[in-house]
Amino acid sequence: MLPAAAVFHFPWEVNSGAVREGESVRVFGRLVCYQPEESRATLSAQHASKEHHVAVHTLFVEPFNPIIGAQYIVLGEIENAEGVGAMVRARVLNCVDGVNVALLQKAINEQRSFFREREHTCDDAQAT
Amino acid sequence: MQPATMDPAEEPPSMLWGLDPIFCAFARLYVRDILQMTESIQVPGIYFYNLHPIYKVDVLGTVVYKREREDFFCYGVDDGTGVINCLCWKNDLFKEEADPTKSGGKHSDGARGGFNPVAELALLRQAQQSRCRLEIGELLRVRGPVKTSRQQREIMASTFYKVNDPVMAVQIAWMMEVPQLYRQCYDKPLQLQPNATGDSALSSLSKATNIIKEFLKQKSVTRFRPYDVQDLLQPLISSQPQTASADLEPVAGPSACQQLRQLLKEALQILQDEGIVYCKVKSQDDVYQVTAHDTDLLIAVKDVIREDSQREKYAEKGCHILHILSAVRQRHSLNVSKATLELVLKSLECNSDIVSTSDDHYTAF
Repeated sequence: MLPAAAVFHFPWEVNSGAVREGESVRVFGRLVCYQPEESRATLSAQHASKEHHVAVHTLFVEPFNPIIGAQYIVLGEIENAEGVGAMVRARVLNCVDGVNVALLQKAINEQRSFFREREHTCDDAQAT
Repeated sequence: MQPATMDPAEEPPSMLWGLDPIFCAFARLYVRDILQMTESIQVPGIYFYNLHPIYKVDVLGTVVYKREREDFFCYGVDDGTGVINCLCWKNDLFKEEADPTKSGGKHSDGARGGFNPVAELALLRQAQQSRCRLEIGELLRVRGPVKTSRQQREIMASTFYKVNDPVMAVQIAWMMEVPQLYRQCYDKPLQLQPNATGDSALSSLSKATNIIKEFLKQKSVTRFRPYDVQDLLQPLISSQPQTASADLEPVAGPSACQQLRQLLKEALQILQDEGIVYCKVKSQDDVYQVTAHDTDLLIAVKDVIREDSQREKYAEKGCHILHILSAVRQRHSLNVSKATLELVLKSLECNSDIVSTSDDHYTAF
């Protein structure tokens, strides 16, 4: 009944093969293009002096008000589309323009390092 | 850390749950942890995260599923670690939505400018509805007890509302805060045992002092020797092995007398520190004077204040407590403590024998 939890991922992780097909993700990025006839949007983000793109399938969240250049956050499942590579089939697409991206990245990293730390201590506990 | 693997025998006894501060709080756990917590065998509806008893939680997440029924909403909330169902009851204000809202609208048109309670109520209802009715993708904050129904964990919302978070400030703050809460509270084991034993040792001592105080008051004792009150404390010693750990019991037999003496010594020390008793003369065989019933001391203090208040030096301001103390020590006994003197001064003041002119100054007329 309930969908799987959408875990935060960075835009540069989506196409690097770190996320598998079918996995639920939430990704942020700047909307750079929207093609309503194909229900396809592209989010982009800068990381390590490179521009990373995330393809988003927007059929489930239409109609929405596309603001080119605004920050969006997308929740959905990873799909492998031909010619595009990994694409997020959006369940939720929210405009969050004005978000402090640096702080959001910090919060995501904070959460991840907490879980890593916890799994680590858990492994230690099991080993002893 | 993996709550699912907790041995049921490790479950802390329910009597101690209330001592865990997390028990009474809405725990801000990750949804993943809420779903994985083990349910208590003793009391269904209580869950354990890391041996912390938990029954109500506080969650912030995106609505990814919704179902509306006549009486309630069911929202699936996703916080990025898991998805949990939240059962959110509609309240009465919400249910009377259809007609009153329209009539309220008309009223507000009629009474333009003035305060119109009907229109205000309609506005309130609208505000409430807009906060309770969420669409997929919106942010929901839920607090409430965790329930398991049809083998599924869910949150019975006691409070729930839509959070307006256009620039994710609330979500980011939450993401930064929760790991800290885990590190500082939820992942720290609760250490009850040392405190518990500490308490019982303390309480037997405080019981002992109370017993002696009560005895001195009831019998109007003016002076006593330690062995006069020793028997009073006997019940505390004989009852102790039952409350203390069982392995102490065989040892308790021979040392009971020593324990008793030790307890008495500590209790008398406390009474002495509080000034309730004092030794007039230090000797092998201590005789304790009871401050409250020592008329000689009372008279000595009163005399000191009355005489010295006549002197020019103290006439205006009264005698300082330390001056009184040294005078009483010379006149009455070297062993009068400040605490004892304070008690005497208090009782003299209550009888209007003396008057305090400031915090530490006393005079008599």
